[in-house]
Amino acid sequence: MTSEPVVETNGLGKSYGRISAVRDLNLTVGPGRITAFLGLNGAGKSTTIRMLLGMIRPTEGSGTVLGRRIDDPAGSLEFRRRVAYVSEDKRLYGYMTVEQIIRFTSSFYPDWRADVVRTLLKQYDLPPDRKIRSLSKGMRTKLALLLALARRPQLLILDEPSEGLDPVGIEDLLQSLVAQCAEGTAVFFSSHQIAEVERVADQVCILHQGRLVLDASLDDLRLSYRQIDMVFPSLPAELQSQLQLEGVESIRTSGHQMSVFASRNADAIMERARDLHAGSIEAAPVGLREIFLQKVKEN
Amino acid sequence: MLWYKSWLETRSRFLISLLVAVALCSLVVYHGDQDAIPNTTLAYYYNVLQGGHVLLCMMWVMSVTLLTMGGLLREKAVGTAPFTLALPVSRTRLMAVRISVVLGEAMALVIVPWAAMFLIGSLTGKTHSIQQAFFHMALLAGGGMVFFGTALLTSSLVEGEYTAPVVTFGAVLGISVVLSSSSLHVYSPMEFIAGAEYLDRHTRLLTGPIPWMRVAVSILISALLVAISAKAVQARDF
Repeated sequence: MTSEPVVETNGLGKSYGRISAVRDLNLTVGPGRITAFLGLNGAGKSTTIRMLLGMIRPTEGSGTVLGRRIDDPAGSLEFRRRVAYVSEDKRLYGYMTVEQIIRFTSSFYPDWRADVVRTLLKQYDLPPDRKIRSLSKGMRTKLALLLALARRPQLLILDEPSEGLDPVGIEDLLQSLVAQCAEGTAVFFSSHQIAEVERVADQVCILHQGRLVLDASLDDLRLSYRQIDMVFPSLPAELQSQLQLEGVESIRTSGHQMSVFASRNADAIMERARDLHAGSIEAAPVGLREIFLQKVKEN
Repeated sequence: MLWYKSWLETRSRFLISLLVAVALCSLVVYHGDQDAIPNTTLAYYYNVLQGGHVLLCMMWVMSVTLLTMGGLLREKAVGTAPFTLALPVSRTRLMAVRISVVLGEAMALVIVPWAAMFLIGSLTGKTHSIQQAFFHMALLAGGGMVFFGTALLTSSLVEGEYTAPVVTFGAVLGISVVLSSSSLHVYSPMEFIAGAEYLDRHTRLLTGPIPWMRVAVSILISALLVAISAKAVQARDF
């Protein structure tokens, strides 16, 4: 397997008039990894994904998918043979039956996996002769996933894949993502579901108001982010500035208590707190939810 | 398989249009001589030409507008555009296949109803002429391309599930009204496909040679409209 990134953007941006949907995006998605793309509604996640797939033309910057430029129509056509995409609302052709859309989609991919289709049809309980327009949203989502997974893609891009799925469906989905990744497929998915991201992602990117505000491995985040709670005999105004060390993301005070949210350098921060006569110091690991909220509030 | 998709998309509209056109045109021919003046063919031709062909022209324009409804903008409105555009197929090929399928259906909507009228005429011993049938078909198929191009352009510029056909019907109506005035009627595509200019008022027959030059101009205008549509779709964000 090559170590070349499957997705790479350089200053990528999209503006609609004066409104910037995505700004100066420098994103790298590695091969054989699950990369989660987090962000609030309207953060620019879907716009970014659609730029990568050639559906939206960037107004600035450049990008590549599987080594091909996203703004080159021939290159885009080439990489789309090796990329599977499941869109946010999972709309499929309502006038086709499940069987017809499977036959239709399979005709574009020489590496189509009929065994995956058979397995997933059974697992997802999808009726082959049912018209798509009569399927529930959950079933449509499962069908969209089936069509994506059977392509034997090098890169799987999913926009809010768990939306519309019940808990069993979500579990199946997460297991499928991990299995695909184990087979060498790079997975890039956007989500609001932080708990799901924490379970399967290797890398986390947070997009806020069109800007990438975090791009780190989940392991690194778990190792480096700390919430440090301290109690001081008194809280003079200059104490906060004395604790503004490298890695301090935010400081909150309440009575004699101070909470420092740190992205790194926790040991040095605690050392400084001791020097400043903190009575009690406790450092605790921080979950992805807190990191996400912190990044979104901070920016 | 893109052909298959386009066929599935349009087949209901096409088959309903074809069935209605064949039934109405056949009825007109079958009952067309009931008002005939004895020893003349005037009423029969009047009914076939005015009743049959003009009826077919109106149904054809309506059907083609409905058949052209589709494409990426409509897919955007119904939410299937991301699935289609993620397939390893260029927008040009998507459009080319759709245009070919709709064009084939539009031609079938000229040929089959006329074949039905000709067949009914032959089987029931009524006056018929293959030259007249061919003349009418050439006018409708050639001149009708302007309507096809207009409908395609509208469906490539106007978003919304049913907005494009409504706008196209409005445009066709507007063009017909504007060009119906005495000085401009020769430019009216509706009058052209109905054969009004070539109709002998006494015999109710189309006279003179088939106006191939005007047919070619219609096809050229249509080609231009198709090219503009393709450019518009290429440049659009989905």
